[in-house]
Amino acid sequence: MSFGRFVFTRSLQGLGVIWGVITVVFALRFVTPGDPINAVAPLDATQETRRAIAAELGLDQPLYIQYGQYLFDLMVGDMGFSYIRGQEVTGLVFARVPATVELAVTATIVAIALSIPLGVISATRRNEPVDYGATLFSLAGISTPNFWLGIMMILILAVEFGIFHTSGRGTDFGDVVISVVGPEPFISTLASWLKYITLPSIALGTYFMALITRLTRSGMLDELGKAYVTASRAKGIPETLVRYKHVLRNTLIPVITVLGLQLGTLIGGAVITEAVFSWPGLGTLVIQSINLRDWPVLQGSLIVIGTSFVLVNILVDTVYAYLDPQVVYD
Amino acid sequence: MSYEQTSRPAADSVLSVEGLSTRFFTEEGQINAVESVSFDLREDEILGIVGESGSGKSVTALSLVDLVGSPGRITAGSVWYRNPDLAEEFRGNDSVEVSGDHVDLRTLPPRVRRSLRGPSFSMIFQDPMSSFNPSITVGEQIAEAVEVQRRARANPRSTRSRTQGYGLSNYLLDGIVPGRSYTSKASTERAVELLEQVGIPDPEERVDEYPNQFSGGMLQRAMIAQALAGEPDVLIADEPTTALDVTIQAQILNLLRDIQRDRGMSIVLITHDLAVVAEMCDRVCVMYAGEVVERGPLEAVFGDPVHPYTQGLLGSIPEPDAAKSRLEPIAGNVPGLLDSEMGDRCYFADRCPKAMQSCLEKPADVPTSADGEHTAKCVLAERPYDPDEALPDEYFGGNE
Amino acid sequence: MVSARVIRNLKSEFKTSALAKIGLALVVGIILVATFAPFIAPHNPTEQRLPQSELPPIGFTDTNEKTSSEMVDGEIQTVTETEVIRADSDFVLGTDGLGRDMLSRIIYGARTSLAVGVLGTLFAAVIGVPVGMYAGYHRGRIDDTLMRIADVSLAFPSLVLAVALIGLWGRAAVRVPDPFVVTGLVSGMPEYFVLPITVVIVVGLVNWVWFARVARGEAMSLRSQEYVKAARALGASDNRIILSHVLPNAITPIIVLGTVQVAAIILLESALSFLGFSGTTLSWGFDISQGRDYISSGQWWIASIPGLAIMLSVIGINLLGDWLRDALDPGIQGEGGAA
Repeated sequence: MSFGRFVFTRSLQGLGVIWGVITVVFALRFVTPGDPINAVAPLDATQETRRAIAAELGLDQPLYIQYGQYLFDLMVGDMGFSYIRGQEVTGLVFARVPATVELAVTATIVAIALSIPLGVISATRRNEPVDYGATLFSLAGISTPNFWLGIMMILILAVEFGIFHTSGRGTDFGDVVISVVGPEPFISTLASWLKYITLPSIALGTYFMALITRLTRSGMLDELGKAYVTASRAKGIPETLVRYKHVLRNTLIPVITVLGLQLGTLIGGAVITEAVFSWPGLGTLVIQSINLRDWPVLQGSLIVIGTSFVLVNILVDTVYAYLDPQVVYD
Repeated sequence: MSYEQTSRPAADSVLSVEGLSTRFFTEEGQINAVESVSFDLREDEILGIVGESGSGKSVTALSLVDLVGSPGRITAGSVWYRNPDLAEEFRGNDSVEVSGDHVDLRTLPPRVRRSLRGPSFSMIFQDPMSSFNPSITVGEQIAEAVEVQRRARANPRSTRSRTQGYGLSNYLLDGIVPGRSYTSKASTERAVELLEQVGIPDPEERVDEYPNQFSGGMLQRAMIAQALAGEPDVLIADEPTTALDVTIQAQILNLLRDIQRDRGMSIVLITHDLAVVAEMCDRVCVMYAGEVVERGPLEAVFGDPVHPYTQGLLGSIPEPDAAKSRLEPIAGNVPGLLDSEMGDRCYFADRCPKAMQSCLEKPADVPTSADGEHTAKCVLAERPYDPDEALPDEYFGGNE
Repeated sequence: MVSARVIRNLKSEFKTSALAKIGLALVVGIILVATFAPFIAPHNPTEQRLPQSELPPIGFTDTNEKTSSEMVDGEIQTVTETEVIRADSDFVLGTDGLGRDMLSRIIYGARTSLAVGVLGTLFAAVIGVPVGMYAGYHRGRIDDTLMRIADVSLAFPSLVLAVALIGLWGRAAVRVPDPFVVTGLVSGMPEYFVLPITVVIVVGLVNWVWFARVARGEAMSLRSQEYVKAARALGASDNRIILSHVLPNAITPIIVLGTVQVAAIILLESALSFLGFSGTTLSWGFDISQGRDYISSGQWWIASIPGLAIMLSVIGINLLGDWLRDALDPGIQGEGGAA
C-alpha cells in the first residue's frame, strides 16, 4: 500500500465515523424525556409556537425523512435554529471555534515542547535527581483536576501577584498577528495576549505534559534496552543519532497513538478550563446550552467537537504512518 | 590493581585479553558474569568462544567493545589491542598502558575507546531482526556505519569529541534543512556495494527496504555488510547463525570465512554450537560459569580435551549428524553466578563426574602441551583422577 | 489468572518500590476514611453555623476589613478597622462560607468520590468486558460493528458526553441509609449517603469502550492459543471457552485498566460536580466550585483543600495502578540490561 493510498483509506474510514457521530447526535433528540419538541422550543412557548416549530422541523414526518432532512441540512452547513437565542446554530457554534482552537493548540504546543525533552532527560539520566523530579511532576500532573489547578493559579498568580488576568480573552492570537504589520505595538499586544492565554493553557496542558513525559520516559527506557540500540552503538555512530534518530523516533510512535486517543480528554478538558476562565469557546457554549436547555446548539456543538476529533485523528494517523513505515507497508 | 603482574602481550596477537572480569551489580547481589578471562586473538585467525547459554560468552564480547550496559561494569583485567598509531600516540602518557605496538584499551580515555567502534572493532549479533531498527531502511542503517568511518578519516579529532562531531544541533538542523543529513550520497552508494559483496541480489532496490521486508538470512548478510562498513581489524560475531535455518547457517558461515580470508580480518566467533566451531575456528576457548576452562588450538582441544566439561560437551555430539547438535549435555545447570554463592572452588565440581576433594579449591590455569598453547583450568591437567579422593555423594545433592 | 506467580511478582515489586507502598497506604487510608466517615468526622458535614463561617484552618489567620462612618468634630470620617479572624481548634481545616466544617466535608467527600469511582468503573466493565470478549472471540461482522461503535464513542470526549447526557436526563440521586447512623452507633451525622446515580450510569456509559477494547484485544490473542484451540477441538461451547479460558487469562489487564479507570472517573466526577452536574452537594468538586467564589476575597482554603484531597486520592490510585501493571505485565518490565 502506498502512503497516499493509506491516507485515502484512512480518510474514508474517518468519514464513516463522522456519519456515526451525526447519527448519534440525531438520536439524542429521542433520548430526551417527553416530546422531542420540548428539547427545541423555549420553555415558555405557546402551544401555537410549538406546533409551528414542530412543523418547520418536520417532526410530524416519518423518521427516515427527518433523518434525511437532517443529513441534507448539515451538508449545506445548516445546523438548525436556536429558538431560545433566536439565532442560527451554525453561526453561533463557529463563532466559538477560534477561541477553543487557540486554547487547545497553545496548550498542546506548550505540553509537547516541554514534555518530550523532559521525558528524554528523565530516561537518559535514570535515577538521578532530575529523573525523580520529572517522575514526581508527571505523577502529580496526571492526578490533578485541571479546573482546580486553574483556580489555584488564579489565586496565586492573578489575584495575589496580579501577573495574569483572572478570566476572559481580551486579546486573541489574531490581534498578535495583526500587530506585526498593523499600527498596534507588537510587544505590548503579545504581552497582553500572554496575560490572557497563559493560565488557561497551563491548566489545560499540564495533564498532557505529565502524560507525555511519562510515556516518553517509559517508552524510551523500553527502547534503550532493545538489541538494535546495542547494535547501533557497536557500529560507532554518535550517541546523538542513537538517542534521537533511532530511539526517540521509535518511542514517539506509540506516544502519538496515545495522544490521538487522548484528544477527547483534551477537548473535554477545554470545556472545563473554559468554564473556570470564562473563556468564550465551545466549552462554555456547551455548558450554557445545557443550562438553557438549548438542544439545537448542544447538538451543533457536539457535531463540531466529534468531527474535529475524527479529523485530527486522521492527521495523527498520517503522521504515525510517516514515522513508522511498517504501518503502510505491512 | 597492578599492571606489573600482567605479562606483556605476544607480538603477533591482534587482541590479547588478560584477567578480564565483568560484574553486574543488581538488587539481588553481585553477579560475576565474566571471571578473570584470558585469551589471545591472532592475526587472520578465527577464534571460537564456546559454552552454554549463561556461561558469559556474550558479556565477554560486549566487554571487548566496551558496551556492557548498566548495571554491568568491567572490574579488572586488560584488553591489549595492537595498533601502532595508537601506541605511538599514547606512549609516554602516564595513565595509558602501552607495550610495543599494543595499548591496553581499558586504560584509554573513554572517548578514544568509543572512537574505535566501527573502524577497529565491529560486531554481528544473534538476531538480525531485532538488531536492526525496524523503522529505518536497511540501506540507511548501513550507510550510517559507512559514514562513521568516512568522518573518522576526514576528521579524526572530532570523532573523539564528546558528541563525536555530531551534536543535537546538527541533528535538529538535519531535520529542518532539506537535503541535509548525517549520511551522505557517497555512503549510501557504498552501502549498495557492501550489500552486493555479501551476496544480496538487487542491492539497489534492497537498500531502500525496511528490515521486515528481508528474510532472516538476507538480513544477517546485511548485518555482516554493516559490520564490514568500517573496515575493522576485528570482527566479533555473537551467535551469528543461531536464529537462522540450518541451510542458511551454512551460507552465512561460508560468507564469514570468505570475508576473513579476503580481507585478512581476525574474527572472534561466539557460539554454543560445537559443529560451527569445528568447521570454522583455528583456536578455541571453552567457557563455563564466566571462566575460560580450557583453551588452545582446535585440534588439541577437540582431539584431546582435558577438562571434564569439554569432554562432556564433545561427548554430547551425536556422531552421525554432528551438524544438528545442540548443547544440553551434562546433568545439572550452569550456576547462577551470584558472587555470594560462588566461593573459591572449581565451579564445575558439582556437575563433574571426576570431582575430587581438591576441586573445592580454585584450580590454576595449567598448560597441558609442551608449547603452552593448550591450557586447562582443572586439577586433572596436573594429575590423573583418583577415585579415593572422590567427593561424597551428598555434595551433588539437589542439583538434578 | 491470579496464580502463585502473580502473587510473588506483586510481593517482590512491592518490596522494591517505595512508590507502591505509598500508593497502597493512600488507597487503604481513603477506603477506611470513606467507610468509617461517621466515626471520624468531627462534625456533621452539612450542618451550617453562620456565625462561624469562613474560619481559616489551624495555623492561619484571616483578616476582615470593616468600614464604618462616624461623626467626629462635625465631619463624617470613614474608619477602616481590620478585624483578625483566628482559627478555631474545633475546625481543624476551617469552615466554608456557610460555616460547615471543612474537615468533615473532606471526609464525607471521600465517600462520594470512591463510590462513584468504583461503581462507575464496575458498570463500565460490566458492559465493556462481555461485549469486547464476544467480539474479539468471534471476530467477523459483530467485531467490525463493535469497533465502529467504539470509534464513534471515542469521538465524543467523556466530559462533554457526560455533561450532555446528564443535561438531557437530569440529575437523579438515590439516598442510601448510613448503616452506622441508622443502627444508632453514631448520632448527629447525616442519616443518608446521597449516591448520584445518574453520574454513575453516565460515566459507565461513557467509559465502557476502554474495557471493550482491552477485552477484545485479549480475546483475539488468546483465541489463537493452543489450549483454546484444543478446547474447541474437544467440543467445548464458545461461551464456555470464553468463560473458563479467555476471561481468566484476560483478567490481569482488565484489573490494571480498572485501576486507571477508577482514578479517571474520580477526576471526571469532580469535574461534573464542579460544573454542577452531580446529584449531591457533598462532593470535593462541588466544594471547589463553592470555594471559587471566595478566592478573590482571601478565603483560599475553601477551594484549595478539596483539590488536595482529590489529588492525593488520584495519586494513590495511580501509584497502585503502576504497581499492579509493573508486577502483572511482564511485557513492560525487565527489558533493560546489556546481555
